[in-house]
Amino acid sequence: MFKKVLIANRGEIALRIIRACRELGIATVAVHSTADANSLHVRFADEAVCIGPPPSKDSYLNVPALLSAAEITRADAIHPGYGFLSENAEFAEVCAKCSIGFIGPKPDVIRLMGNKVRAKEAAREAGLPLLPGSPGVLKSADEAVEVANEIGYPVILKAAAGGGGRGMKIVRDAKSIASAFATASAEAVAAFSNGDMYLERYVEKPRHIEIQIVADVYGNVVHLGERECSVQRRHQKLIEESPSPGVSPALRAEMGKVSVDAMKRINYSNVGTIEFLMDENGRFYFMEMNTRIQVEHPVTEQVTGIDLLRTQIMLAAGEKLPFTQAQIVMKGASIECRVNAEDPITFAPWPGKITAYSAPGGLGVRVDSLAYENYVVQPHYDSLVAKLIVTAEDRPTAIRRMKRALAEYVVQGIRTNIPFHRAALDQEAFVQGVYDTRFVEQMQASEAGTARLKRAIEESP
Amino acid sequence: MADKKKKSVVAGSSVEVTPGTSFDLDALKQIVELLEASEVTSLDWRRNGERLSIRRGPPPANVMQPMSMPLSAGVQVMPAAPAPAAAPGPALTPRPSAPRPTAAAEAREEKKGHVITSPFVGTFYRSPSPDQAAYVEVGSPVKKGAVLCIIEAMKLMNEIESEVAGKVTEVLAQNGQPVEFGQALFRVEP
Repeated sequence: MFKKVLIANRGEIALRIIRACRELGIATVAVHSTADANSLHVRFADEAVCIGPPPSKDSYLNVPALLSAAEITRADAIHPGYGFLSENAEFAEVCAKCSIGFIGPKPDVIRLMGNKVRAKEAAREAGLPLLPGSPGVLKSADEAVEVANEIGYPVILKAAAGGGGRGMKIVRDAKSIASAFATASAEAVAAFSNGDMYLERYVEKPRHIEIQIVADVYGNVVHLGERECSVQRRHQKLIEESPSPGVSPALRAEMGKVSVDAMKRINYSNVGTIEFLMDENGRFYFMEMNTRIQVEHPVTEQVTGIDLLRTQIMLAAGEKLPFTQAQIVMKGASIECRVNAEDPITFAPWPGKITAYSAPGGLGVRVDSLAYENYVVQPHYDSLVAKLIVTAEDRPTAIRRMKRALAEYVVQGIRTNIPFHRAALDQEAFVQGVYDTRFVEQMQASEAGTARLKRAIEESP
Repeated sequence: MADKKKKSVVAGSSVEVTPGTSFDLDALKQIVELLEASEVTSLDWRRNGERLSIRRGPPPANVMQPMSMPLSAGVQVMPAAPAPAAAPGPALTPRPSAPRPTAAAEAREEKKGHVITSPFVGTFYRSPSPDQAAYVEVGSPVKKGAVLCIIEAMKLMNEIESEVAGKVTEVLAQNGQPVEFGQALFRVEP
């Protein structure tokens, strides 16, 4: 087991790692930029080293400074957290060369999954389902008809040279495809000077469902169930939950088995998450894999009882997975709301000093946060201030508990998206558990949603 | 008339300012409290030769002086060799909760002279090698660009140069001690 871990990160995840290390009896080293000198993780760690000025590239991404800090503190392992260097294969390799443990998967699998195109190929070879589509550019309207009939409707025609949502046409049945192809190609030539088109299955109501994987270096792989992360804005997750109200036990078992089999085939080790897109019929397709611990890991911890950070550190130290698939039981329901320092309506970032702070508590309430009274939220980094996680015996109780906890949460001096969360949890789609990645835009476009949001802002303590 | 004291109220605040007198402690306290409750980070007020300047938030990075450029540009290079052997020197002691080296160095700035701070994380050495004399001692005259010390990082020896000409008045770090970014190393009085 490691004797001393250097946390190459900041904020709430640095705190989470320090806590796991402390419970394992491992000494901790916090590194920080000058802007983070008064950060909680710096105060909680056994030792701290200032590694650079505020910009991330000169501090948290500064590999020589990180390695030097590990050298002078004699740390024997580095935990990269999430973001920053956590999915940087070169960094993982350099750590290995310096005989410093890297708490994460092996460099070659980080590299494989880091390239999104190669990841899809690897996923396909490993047996993971991919969104069906044309093998390449469509040569003719006839080929378009053939491919579309094969993969099933609805499909979407996409211009190969397009992007940003442009050059796309949705086709819902066989009789429209030929003419749609002709029109779309002509439009593409006019807009992008390139009429090349390809085809994909179109998912109308996509849900973001991800599977948590844990694996040791001896070939043992276990999945810890799914998380639903469909409440997102511009691909930034806001609310996550486990289990997903859209996933039946049978579907969970199927997704889990497919994921575990694939991970065994690529010799995966340590923790990771496979992100899928799920359509309204329960068909799921591989999107990408994250070879690190994720922000939303707490909801999985809460329903499975597994300490993911402790498990991750033990796996990195070469220990065998301490549990089997049969021993994993998901109990109850857990929801996480990401509390960001941002305007609840416009989502504009809102750094500044927290002048009053009081976190919620009580049964089933967990707060993972870097905040405290008089803490200054920095403008240089992400806006995550806290993760509020609730757990309850079932989903309706979890929703009530989250609303209760959000109403208790006092964060003054900055603006937060707490009112957004309070309004979102009242949305019919969320309460019913039938929502997808269009949730946030639908809420913003609806009168009821906007009114709820305004009321929540007014009611903020 | 100069001796007719007229009180004026600063718009948007509850602080009264009497022309001709300095701010008293109470007024200052009120202003600071007002600032803390707002999102204002800096206030600069001048009038009739009086000036009030308040800044809040963490000190800007590199508040001291531009980073010394070491002769050997070692910063970017990845070490090809495996891990270094256990380096001599004490481990860093647990940190107090007070603000970090830049603030401590700033406090020292009130003394005369230029504080040279470390641009790297590494180990501080006062001489080119263990059996040679230190580059400088207290009282040593230095030219601009003179090497003051070495910061060793990942087996690379980075020479730290003085940004100013003058005399070394204080040695602020210990030989063989690990130093962090921004840590005070020397005071040089021009």
